[in-house]
Amino acid sequence: MDLGISALNYVNGIKNNEFTVEEFTLKSLERISQVDEKLHAFLRVNDLAIKNAREIDTKIKSNQNVGKCYGMPISIKDNICIEGSKTTCASKVLENFIAPYTSTVISKLNSEDAIIIGKTNLDEFAMGLSTEFSAYGPSRNPWNTDYVPGGSSGGSGVSVSANECIASLGSDTGGSIRNPASFCSVVGLKPTYGLVSRYGLVSYANSIEQIGPMAKTVKDSAFLLNIISGIDSNDNTTVDNKNQDYLTDIDAGINGKKIGIVTEMTNPDGLSTDVLDATNDAIKTFEKLGANCEQVSLEMVRYAVAAYYTITSTEAGSNLARYDNIRYGYEFDSSGFEFNSYISQARSKFGPEVIRRMILGGFVPSAGHAGKYFSKALKVKSKLIAEIKHVFEKFDYLISPTVPIQPFKFGEKINDPVSFMMVDFNTVTANLTGIPAISVPYKITNGLPIGIQIMANHEEEHSLLQAAYALEKTVDLPEVPV
Amino acid sequence: MKNLVTEEEIAHVAKLMKINLEDHSDHVKRVQKMLEYFDILDRANVESEEITVQETDLDKLRDDKHVPYDKNLLKFLNSYQEKYVKAPKLN
Repeated sequence: MDLGISALNYVNGIKNNEFTVEEFTLKSLERISQVDEKLHAFLRVNDLAIKNAREIDTKIKSNQNVGKCYGMPISIKDNICIEGSKTTCASKVLENFIAPYTSTVISKLNSEDAIIIGKTNLDEFAMGLSTEFSAYGPSRNPWNTDYVPGGSSGGSGVSVSANECIASLGSDTGGSIRNPASFCSVVGLKPTYGLVSRYGLVSYANSIEQIGPMAKTVKDSAFLLNIISGIDSNDNTTVDNKNQDYLTDIDAGINGKKIGIVTEMTNPDGLSTDVLDATNDAIKTFEKLGANCEQVSLEMVRYAVAAYYTITSTEAGSNLARYDNIRYGYEFDSSGFEFNSYISQARSKFGPEVIRRMILGGFVPSAGHAGKYFSKALKVKSKLIAEIKHVFEKFDYLISPTVPIQPFKFGEKINDPVSFMMVDFNTVTANLTGIPAISVPYKITNGLPIGIQIMANHEEEHSLLQAAYALEKTVDLPEVPV
Repeated sequence: MKNLVTEEEIAHVAKLMKINLEDHSDHVKRVQKMLEYFDILDRANVESEEITVQETDLDKLRDDKHVPYDKNLLKFLNSYQEKYVKAPKLN
């Protein structure tokens, strides 16, 4: 039994009686116990996984209707709620928080008979890009454990890359799916804003974040998107995608398509040499596939990181105000305290990055500073949306490397907040403008992965996945050395 | 022309956010550095831009109907009395 198979091959394996759900689940749990002490992708594994597997096996044997997932083990980022189980957001504040309801994406996976194998590590409240800000310790990159796996959905990326599960769900506010996908050499898709319900996702910057799949192949990403997308009365920002099938014609190719190479995101000054080489190579590959590539400038991309951090900090300041130890946290009794000192004592459980973003989030929209920071950030966002709208009149896709650099070592960037922010340079634009973007594994250089990012216009996931699939087919990467 | 945000300004905001900076003294400098980077927004030349907001059509919103919720959420709390949350004293 090969734990490294794709979701689609897993389904075939079950259908052809090559293995049972229980066998595969057991093997996955064994794999987790073997490698996760080192990799730390998981915060918790699901104690009921084997029981769930047996139930699905029974359904299969007795010819009952079985959901599309046929019991495939899927890991879930620990900021997505499952009723009756812990959701910590990798924060001490939510160390004992039991979710009182189930998120829409989990309900959808459950109704298709997926097995939730465990909850994965992240930067605290999804604020970060290396998992170094997890209150429970970082995850490690399976390609080289001295290096970060990316983040914030780092645990999800590691769990898929290291074959601890078939696929995972992450969330992406500024690159948090695509960055670890690139660093761990898996496929990561940030869908159009509103395509996937956020009901049950713990909010960080809810105006721009999305849940999305992280998977071994582009087809698997399309398979999962089919399941988790669609309108939801519990999330008013969702759009009706009319049950579109993203797998249909995924192999249509990109002959004759127009691709814009985003000048600002491929600037040699901002990229490492190896990433630049891989990008130029990918451009040649796209041309060989029959696409026309040309440079396109999006002026506002230069200001996107500053706008992104301004807007997300503001929303975080507001979203995190609820962690007051009265409604959440509830560790110490409220009697004997004065209100403000009680709340600030509760706040002391937040980790350093969350505290910084809360201070920033109080500062940038405040009276006297909003004009300089928050309003300007919103204006940059508006202008960026206009620029994107304009370029998609001419182009089908935009491309760039997903991350300007390759995975870095633990501690290498943590003391320099500005160079840390720059890692997000190529990913935040898709979030600020709401467009879909995918990271496709492209190369392994010096033993570490490089991913290529493809972006498409709003709700053009179908076409986006076609391009990603075309690129993926040209690539033959080594197996993960763990 | 650098217009550095002062430590006092940051400390003031931290207080308003109910964050006790004594626990977090090294954060001020980092927040300062991030704010300094945000100065790049001044170069974006966007003063005359309109701020667009996300719109949702009214017919897309769910009906304004009471949906009964039968789960007792209060049982998750440490401090509550009957159906009220117990909060610390307001001065």
